[in-house]
Amino acid sequence: MPVIEVTGLTKSYGGFTAVDDVSFRCEPGRVTGFLGPNGAGKTTTMRAMVGLTPPTRGTVTIGGMRYADIPNPGRHVGVLLDASAQHNGRTGREVLTIGARTMGLPDSRVEEMLELVSLTGAEAKRRLRNYSLGMRQRLGVAHALLGDPSVLILDEPANGLDPAGIRWMRSLLKGYADRGGTVLLSSHLLHEVEQIADEMILIGRGRIVAQGDRRSLLAERRTGTLVTAEDMDALAKALDAAGLSAHAAGEGLSVEAEPVEVGRVAAAERIVLSDLRGADGGLENLFLELTADTQREGNA
Amino acid sequence: MTTAQAPMTFDVSSTPRVPFSRLVRVELRKALDTRAGRWFTGSIVGLCLVVVTIYAFAAPDEAQTFGDVLSVSGGVLGYFLPILVILMVTSEWSQRTGLVTFALEPHRGRVVGAKLCGALLLGAGLIVLAFAVAAFGTVLGGGEWTVETEILVNGFVIANVISILLGFAIGMLLMNSPAAIVTYFIYSLVLPIAVGILASFQEWFADLAPWIEFNTAQTPLFTGDYTPNGEELAQLLVSGTIWLVVPFAIGLWRLLRAEPK
Repeated sequence: MPVIEVTGLTKSYGGFTAVDDVSFRCEPGRVTGFLGPNGAGKTTTMRAMVGLTPPTRGTVTIGGMRYADIPNPGRHVGVLLDASAQHNGRTGREVLTIGARTMGLPDSRVEEMLELVSLTGAEAKRRLRNYSLGMRQRLGVAHALLGDPSVLILDEPANGLDPAGIRWMRSLLKGYADRGGTVLLSSHLLHEVEQIADEMILIGRGRIVAQGDRRSLLAERRTGTLVTAEDMDALAKALDAAGLSAHAAGEGLSVEAEPVEVGRVAAAERIVLSDLRGADGGLENLFLELTADTQREGNA
Repeated sequence: MTTAQAPMTFDVSSTPRVPFSRLVRVELRKALDTRAGRWFTGSIVGLCLVVVTIYAFAAPDEAQTFGDVLSVSGGVLGYFLPILVILMVTSEWSQRTGLVTFALEPHRGRVVGAKLCGALLLGAGLIVLAFAVAAFGTVLGGGEWTVETEILVNGFVIANVISILLGFAIGMLLMNSPAAIVTYFIYSLVLPIAVGILASFQEWFADLAPWIEFNTAQTPLFTGDYTPNGEELAQLLVSGTIWLVVPFAIGLWRLLRAEPK
């Protein structure tokens, strides 16, 4: 049973439709990536999910309930919409303390969360105006996890994190989903989501353009196979004999066939391969098209 | 993490909603947990102390009773208290904390109610401090320990409750700290002066002023026998509706619908 269910969500501002008939589901135990260029409607959708933006049409339920009907929602749904949306004059620890007090949690929970996101005692004492974006993101994740919720809704959580931070975030969310948690996270960077998400939803100009689990989405849009062999001439001949069309791509060949077929041909001819992989540029191309549509510079 | 390993399911059956009293405590904490909030609150008390001290040395002996000093200290408090209240409301928008506040308690009416209770409690605390400052001033000035009940009720309680509500209304209406503070100063400083000048030139305007200007209408509360007569009460109601009830209602309507960005 899906935990998050978005049905026909539409949000218009005057004549501008920010989110247009968006429907998707998020399953427990899975990380769902919400991917799209800036201004595609990701944030508006997430805001509508937690009741901050009233939708023009459509519904969102979490565990079968409207967000507003969830008692003490911080205990069930962890939300991070914008890590910068905090009072600059508060210390990191104070931000978490306010959250913990609102949710009715002991102050010890604040220390646990600071430790979880690796903010040191000295850092927690600093005011937010002195925080880097990466530190704000860590604090935001700590805030979302305070109430030990079973659902996480995170808008651009990896934004501003260094590579080590992104790796940390990935293992944190993976462990969270493995325990049965439901995670929805957004990003405008394809490789970021590819690494973390089990499911992917692509959104562009307010509409969903593709969705599915990562592997099938990649396979569906696969344009062919990239292959490199020790003896390239022998490989080209073998592929030609097998009736597979191939053309040179960099050091290797790009073949219009599944990797397994190419592998079979090479095995039959006892050709040693040094590289064999699916060319999954399709998803990236689709994503770039979305980006190009909305980019003002038009240079994507 | 101590709670880490239990499998997670979405089950709200054993979670009560956030009690209102907890929301009030959190709002009170939020008013004082920033350097700005603490300093501003401290400065109000400090300013009361300074003004009362100067008063103790400067004012004539016959105006040094506890009641007189109370009016001074209460006046300073009533002047700055609305700014504190404005910031309690507007910081949710200017500092964008509303994103978190309204996600943790999606019923905004409860948050607004908790904020108002927090503001009134904070105001009550400051009234007590201003009271203590007035006592200090009376000792300093060597005045009599006499005070009229009306000064206590009108000058301290009613005036400060009005100023808290007013700050709250302006804050909700504008949802922006600088704009709300400027508006408050126009209301409390510029408006009475402008009305006073106009009234001194035009008799018909002098008659009209207490009906349409809330500061002018409040004068009978603090002067004479401190008891507004029938007409003055009506003026209070009319101007109070214009300057307090209507802005409060529109502000509330606006805040309950606004999208925190």
